[in-house]
Amino acid sequence: MIRQQAQSADSGRIGGALVHAVLLASAALIIIPLIWLVCASLKRNEDFFTSRFLPAGSGFLGVAWERLTLDHFRSLAQLGIGRAALISVFLASVTAVVATMAAAMGGFALARLRFPGRRLAESLVLAAIIIPPTLLLAPGYQLLFQLGLLDTMAGLILPAAAPAFGVYLFRQATLSSVPPQLLEAARIDGCGDISAFFKIALPLVMPMVSAFLMITFLGTWNNFLTPQVVLQTPSNFPLAVTVAQLRGVYYQEYGLLMAGTLVSIAPLLLLFLLLQRDFISGLTSGAVKG
Amino acid sequence: MRTNSDGDAAAIGRIPFGPIVILVAAVASTLLLAARPAQDRHEVRMWTFARLHHQIYQQQVAEWNVAQTPRIDLSLLSLLAIEQRMLSAFLAETTVAELIEVERRNAARAFAGPLESVGFVDLTDRLKAEGLDQAINPASFSPWTTRGRIFGLPHDVHPVMLGYRADIVESAGIDVSKIETWDDFAHVLGPLMADRDADGRPRRYLLNLWETHFEVIELLLLQAGGGLFDSDGRPTLDDPINADVLVQLAVWCAGPDRIAADVPYFSASGNKLLLDGYVIASFVPDWMCNIWRNEIPQLAGKVKLMPLPAWKPGGRRTSVWGGTMLGISRTAANQEALWEFAKYLYLSPISARELYTKGDIVTPVRSLWSDPVFDQPDAYFSGQAKGRMYIELAPHVPVRHSSPFGAIAADRLQTAAISVAAYARRAPGATRAELLSEARRALAVAQADVLANVRRNSFVRADFHEEAGQ
Repeated sequence: MIRQQAQSADSGRIGGALVHAVLLASAALIIIPLIWLVCASLKRNEDFFTSRFLPAGSGFLGVAWERLTLDHFRSLAQLGIGRAALISVFLASVTAVVATMAAAMGGFALARLRFPGRRLAESLVLAAIIIPPTLLLAPGYQLLFQLGLLDTMAGLILPAAAPAFGVYLFRQATLSSVPPQLLEAARIDGCGDISAFFKIALPLVMPMVSAFLMITFLGTWNNFLTPQVVLQTPSNFPLAVTVAQLRGVYYQEYGLLMAGTLVSIAPLLLLFLLLQRDFISGLTSGAVKG
Repeated sequence: MRTNSDGDAAAIGRIPFGPIVILVAAVASTLLLAARPAQDRHEVRMWTFARLHHQIYQQQVAEWNVAQTPRIDLSLLSLLAIEQRMLSAFLAETTVAELIEVERRNAARAFAGPLESVGFVDLTDRLKAEGLDQAINPASFSPWTTRGRIFGLPHDVHPVMLGYRADIVESAGIDVSKIETWDDFAHVLGPLMADRDADGRPRRYLLNLWETHFEVIELLLLQAGGGLFDSDGRPTLDDPINADVLVQLAVWCAGPDRIAADVPYFSASGNKLLLDGYVIASFVPDWMCNIWRNEIPQLAGKVKLMPLPAWKPGGRRTSVWGGTMLGISRTAANQEALWEFAKYLYLSPISARELYTKGDIVTPVRSLWSDPVFDQPDAYFSGQAKGRMYIELAPHVPVRHSSPFGAIAADRLQTAAISVAAYARRAPGATRAELLSEARRALAVAQADVLANVRRNSFVRADFHEEAGQ
């Protein structure tokens, strides 16, 4: 019996070690490009094509440390990367907050309120999900032009303020997390629709709020196409567009490009590391299990 | 059955950390942006697509803004963004910059409609009245000309030479001055491809060329006297000269005596192969000197330039690659002042010097070619006076005719080139006549396809339209 237990413990340890080995290999696969990116952002043009990671030399670990440079980051600062980062934070966070609130309210209305045209509204929301966003770029541009919103931040935030996917997501979250009896009880106690949303429904769908905020933040941060089309003044460009501008038509400053890429993904990495628990709990909160 | 949300009961009611962080970021960034000082709005916007041009122009624009009006606001945008906005503006009257600097393929897309609807100001009469049509190298006008009218001020000439590894060539005791034709090129440099380790493949090839390098194929067609369109905008893909060039291309890239290798232009992998000496020679227009200098500084003093070998003795020793123009938007106010600025930016002696010293680009203004700056030896190119070399070739640059269907023609020509090279690989013993027959077949298909597209346009050329239908 003891022998069997020992054997079982041994096989458990071996299995665990195997799992860890696979996970470590997978982690290495993911982290190696990031390490390469960091190294590339510190290399001079002369060393870019002659060393895989850091330039070889006689310094510590066989690396020519004296050949590394921060010039690319200095150039980025001169090109206004700080301003672009601020604009990215503004666009991503404001869009995330506005879109999440609008989607949560819309989802709550579709799920728990009875009003004429609700079915039609639901169908329209579903239909809107089917249309690829790229298809809306041209008519959206024309509309923004007619509204005088081209080259403005509002021209980016307003079209993203009520995403159909978000409205439907919150409709489903409300249906599964907000019991109608609770809302009826609240109404009997004198609660109106708006109070019921903020005091009852919103706290109950809070995990989904966290997840959707993160999804929208990430999506807006990484969005290149819409700001590229809508914004025209370079001093208003967010990071995604500013970094893309570093890429020349023919001539590339690879170090600068890598440094720009690093700057554009670093805040996201940091944010995800800080908030990963909220993000994952939000994503799994609607999952069904037996 | 239950949902996970049941398990999250403990979390309900409290506001998680994530939303608080994002909310704080929203408020803080809004306040910081609101506190930004108001921007100094200029009267005229100018868009450019090249970082190098943007850097070069900044000083000149600043000086103009101090002394002259209207004040110019120079912006760098990606080429795709400029093309999209330009076409949107020209077709749907959305906002657009008053001055647009654009590359030749993008500019040609604006020439699709009736002449009076082209979004750029027609500069033909101004150019003629001021004698600029004579002062500027004539071939530089052709990409911006449609149906005889010129819609852009040319920025450059862009003659092409071969850039070669002088260190390898000279250490082998080879004298490139003996090369006059492409046949000479293969013959004189041939010893460099000797298979020294007898593994069945040479360590290096002579020419950076592949059937997928469309822009290089086009420059070879132009050098040989072929091309994609004639002066009326009629597709000429099935020109016999084009067929001859495609056959030679297939022989170089896929024949048993192959001399060419695929070293992608404008890529990190291509730069590494150039550095390793995998190919001896590459096609180098003037602007590419600047790219080599900045991206592959290790080649300094190891490379030289020579005129392109001709297709036949006494033939053309150069071609053309790339091209930029400055156009004035038709809806812009104060077009006279914009014209003055355009001339100041592109045609002044100071501009020509700046363009060459910072960008290695030769001005199209012929009277400025005597500037001694072009005679200075260039250490990167082993002390050659490369400016003078390019200028000597500039008058021989071939004419390229623009067409809004240029992108389609380029695509179909590429397909034809790939088809001929594939045929050469499938049939290694194929005779030149067999390859020529395949090239004619592939180009006839390409021609028919491009013609079918052109026929749909009722504005480009009404008279040849009918011929095409015959």
